[in-house]
Amino acid sequence: MPATTKTNFQLVSNGILNENPIFRLALSMCPAVGISTTVMNGIMLGIAVLFVQVFSSCTIAAIKNYIHPRIRIPTYTLTIATWVTVIDLVLAAYMPAAYKEMGIFVKLIVAFAIITMRLEIFACKNSVSSSFWDGIGMGLGFMFGMVALGFVRELLGMGTILGYDVLGVRPLLFFVLPAAGFFCVGIMMAMFNYMELVYNRKRRAKGI
Amino acid sequence: MKQIIRITVGLTVSCLIAALLMGSVFIVTDKAKKHNEHVNVQETMLGLLGYTKSHPAPPDLSLYTIYRYIITDGDTSTLGYVLPVRKEDGAGYRLMVMDLDGQFVNQYALDLMPDEASEPTGRANALKEVVKPPRTFVYADATILATLGQKRLAYLLPGEFPGFKTFIHVMLALDPSFEILGLEIMEHEEDPGLGAEIKQDYFKNQFKGKTFEKVKDLHVVKEPLPVEYKKYLETGRGKASPISEGELETIRNTYQDKDIYALTGATISSKAVTDGVKNMVAKFAYRINRLDSVISAQHIPVAF
Repeated sequence: MPATTKTNFQLVSNGILNENPIFRLALSMCPAVGISTTVMNGIMLGIAVLFVQVFSSCTIAAIKNYIHPRIRIPTYTLTIATWVTVIDLVLAAYMPAAYKEMGIFVKLIVAFAIITMRLEIFACKNSVSSSFWDGIGMGLGFMFGMVALGFVRELLGMGTILGYDVLGVRPLLFFVLPAAGFFCVGIMMAMFNYMELVYNRKRRAKGI
Repeated sequence: MKQIIRITVGLTVSCLIAALLMGSVFIVTDKAKKHNEHVNVQETMLGLLGYTKSHPAPPDLSLYTIYRYIITDGDTSTLGYVLPVRKEDGAGYRLMVMDLDGQFVNQYALDLMPDEASEPTGRANALKEVVKPPRTFVYADATILATLGQKRLAYLLPGEFPGFKTFIHVMLALDPSFEILGLEIMEHEEDPGLGAEIKQDYFKNQFKGKTFEKVKDLHVVKEPLPVEYKKYLETGRGKASPISEGELETIRNTYQDKDIYALTGATISSKAVTDGVKNMVAKFAYRINRLDSVISAQHIPVAF
């Protein structure tokens, strides 16, 4: 794949819609199913992924010419692990309040497929600035997916949004359990794909 | 061959760079991190005793930690307590050894500074001086005693017990008659939305005010939590309360001797916490009574 010709805005929107990590690329499904039980979890994990993705993308884009192609995957993993450790330590030391909420999520990130895949597909072929915007787009897209899943699961499972009671009852406790994560991801993925289908059909009908 | 060498060198160099970066960040942040953890534990302990930022602890409140070790010598094992010594008697720490039947065995002066005593390695070094091989020692647990002036105010017990998936770490506060002053969940991995609700006020505050006699026979009931009780449990100190003082008193009296209401869909977690607390209180009451009788019989000048 040659270097990208997209503008910065296209790179960001690409991450959120066309190549949404959860609904379009179907990557990083473990957290999508396991953690997305509340909106707050989604936001926290989203922020954590956003930071790690942006930092790792920029690092790899900056040093791409020095990486031996045979050892690129270990290098990516090392980069991600380093950034995760650094962010984890810095949060624990200087932002204890944020660490209390986000600590467990940050440590999970090392094994996320989406970050490695983005480094392999995008960052190692593009400039630092486009990698930065791509990282932002991917991070926001991931956060969007997690929050959307968390919204449905929290509302149906616990009757709350962000911890505030909105329904007053717990309609379907089942939605908080891990199995419901699969149902939610599946249904949302179908909706996402259907929307794209309709959108493209309209565009074709208009003859654009 | 050239390829192999290049790959090896490349991997080594990238690992070294990563290790250097992580190591330096660790060195820079380690102190602040430890400090934060310490502050966090301190805040939890004071919070359990009822002191908050708006209602700070009085200056004559002191917290003393007692460390319990199990000392084994061949087939026999004894208990070793690291006890803080009164200021008038030179402060410092003493190791008091007693056997499993509660009989005094021996006591030793420990070469231990207060800041070393809070570190496991510091304590281990001091203990090695007096507990010579073939005797070995293993750390068992710690108890924190809160005193107000000369009076014992509360016991703070850090503890852990198995939950639904892994261990639940808690901090339990007891008053001198072993009535529960409060329960705080420090770490857990229960299911979010189900077992994780043990962290909510309306569950953990149910333990507050349960007397020693009641705790001995505490059960979990699978009944819905009454609305007024839930409101009562969620009114914390310092928060505006929707219920008047008089009503609070009535609700407190009504539910004082009731069992613990299980969380919806998380009976196992609720039961785990209840049984864990029950166990901790029973064991602790037994141990502290024995320890106290030995201390007073031997006239050990302890700080508390």
